Amino acid sequence: MKRLLRPTTLLWQAAICAAFLALWQWGFDLHGRFPRLVPDLLDPYFVSKPSEIVDQFLVLGCFKTGLGAWNGWSNGDFARCMAKFDNNLWVATWITLRNTFFGFLTGVTSGFVLGLILGRSDRLSAIFQPFITAVNSIPRIALAPIIVLAFGIGDNSKIVTSWIVVVFLVFYNTFAGARSVDEGFINAARLLGASEWQITRSVVIPSTMAWVFASLTPAISFALIGVIVGEFIGAEHGIGRLIIESEARGEASGMMVAVIILMIVGVILSALIWRLQIYLLRWQPQRAQ
Amino acid sequence: MLSAARAPRPAPGRSEPGQTRIEVRGLGKSFRLGGTELEAVRDVSFTIAKGEFVALLGPSGSGKSTVLNMIATLLKPSGGEILIDGVRTAPNKASPLVGYVFQKDTLFPWRTVADNIGYGLELAGVAKAERAERVAACIEQAGLRGFADAYPSSLSGGMRQRAALMRTLVVEPQILLMDEPFGALDTHTKIDMHDVLLKIWDREKQTVLFVTHDLSEALTLADRIIMFSARPGRIKEMFSVDLPRPRDAVTLRETPRYAELFQHVWHSLGEEFIKGRAP
Repeated sequence: MKRLLRPTTLLWQAAICAAFLALWQWGFDLHGRFPRLVPDLLDPYFVSKPSEIVDQFLVLGCFKTGLGAWNGWSNGDFARCMAKFDNNLWVATWITLRNTFFGFLTGVTSGFVLGLILGRSDRLSAIFQPFITAVNSIPRIALAPIIVLAFGIGDNSKIVTSWIVVVFLVFYNTFAGARSVDEGFINAARLLGASEWQITRSVVIPSTMAWVFASLTPAISFALIGVIVGEFIGAEHGIGRLIIESEARGEASGMMVAVIILMIVGVILSALIWRLQIYLLRWQPQRAQ
Repeated sequence: MLSAARAPRPAPGRSEPGQTRIEVRGLGKSFRLGGTELEAVRDVSFTIAKGEFVALLGPSGSGKSTVLNMIATLLKPSGGEILIDGVRTAPNKASPLVGYVFQKDTLFPWRTVADNIGYGLELAGVAKAERAERVAACIEQAGLRGFADAYPSSLSGGMRQRAALMRTLVVEPQILLMDEPFGALDTHTKIDMHDVLLKIWDREKQTVLFVTHDLSEALTLADRIIMFSARPGRIKEMFSVDLPRPRDAVTLRETPRYAELFQHVWHSLGEEFIKGRAP
């Protein structure tokens, strides 16, 4: 839908961003004069403000010292800060991303394989149905403290938390997809001499792909949520840890930096999945978006 | 008018003329629908000679597709047996001699036209270069040049069915089972497809079993028509179609012999349509 990118549309979007940032930056200055119009919640103590967030970003990113002086590249200040400040923004982002990736990867593969096996076997799906329903009824996030207790405050507990929220999502989609494979395709393959394994590989998996992909965009968000919650509960590094530390210090700006980083990470990951999906499902007729 | 199998024509390769290719003995099929038993096919027996083109004709619900699907091993017979070249068929073990063309479009939407046609060769482990060559020949034959890399969703119904036909033919099956393959096409496209099929059959002389409820289609294509009666499906009559070959799907219909045969078979078919009607 190319028409969405008309210049006036872009102009409107830019204007909305500018108005939002301006209100955030200066809105609370009007609190004294119009206490009813400007709610207490806009207090920078709670929501910070853009200028403070940029400042905090530079500090957490080791570009500036906590006192406001710039860290030089050439004199080694930046490197010293990075070494001393072990959960700086870059390390935190990297660790959170890495754990998200592993949680996503393990969740998607195991969910896919399980969904495929149970989806193609009436017997197994009949046996496991009640167990899956029961486990699926647990809000997965409630398991996070247990997981951290069991796997420690290192990376493993984050990956497991992330896995457990992703696996069911992908499992259910794959299961539904594998159940709904057109019998005509399977018969056609069988009559052309395909073995059961060849049918699985060349018919069941491709026709399930659209279903699997429908779950991947939410899955990547879920993976990120799993890791962050794991880090809230106990971690040495990561964006979740950064948020908890900032909260303890009463620094709204630190939390906002972390949230904005998460937003950017989320957008990039979703876009990557979207590109992959367009490529792998290029056989589908073009649909309106 | 029960006629014996038509004078057999020489089939390519190792075939011996006059040999029985498909033998169906006392075939029956019942389905359980809800609590009631539905008898779809009752005591059907016939033989098809090598290289013969036979149409199974009958009103819908006369069990002709069920018979075809049992021969293809997609369905398990409730009684009787099917022999292909003297060997009894087993459920879900399709004979490598058999190729099947569906009424419904079963091209894989995630494969291009060329990859769809090459699928059977891929399964058989044919090397890539040979595969490409044979697929290209099929694409040419089906008049699909320029569409090799297109996905099925961008083709018309007729083009899709031609590609589907080629996907079946590329592995050179000796027996072709066709379940109303052109049933969903408009009249023009259908006649085009008849010409395509006739041309291929004149060259390859496969044994063909062609299910249809369209009498003109049966007359255009077949050597012999096996007519089914309304449910439960039984064989009502057989007609031999002595129209000269090679046939042209368009001009054939203008010949007096065609009109004669049409009238003759139509009378018998009409009785079944009336029986099939709700009282």
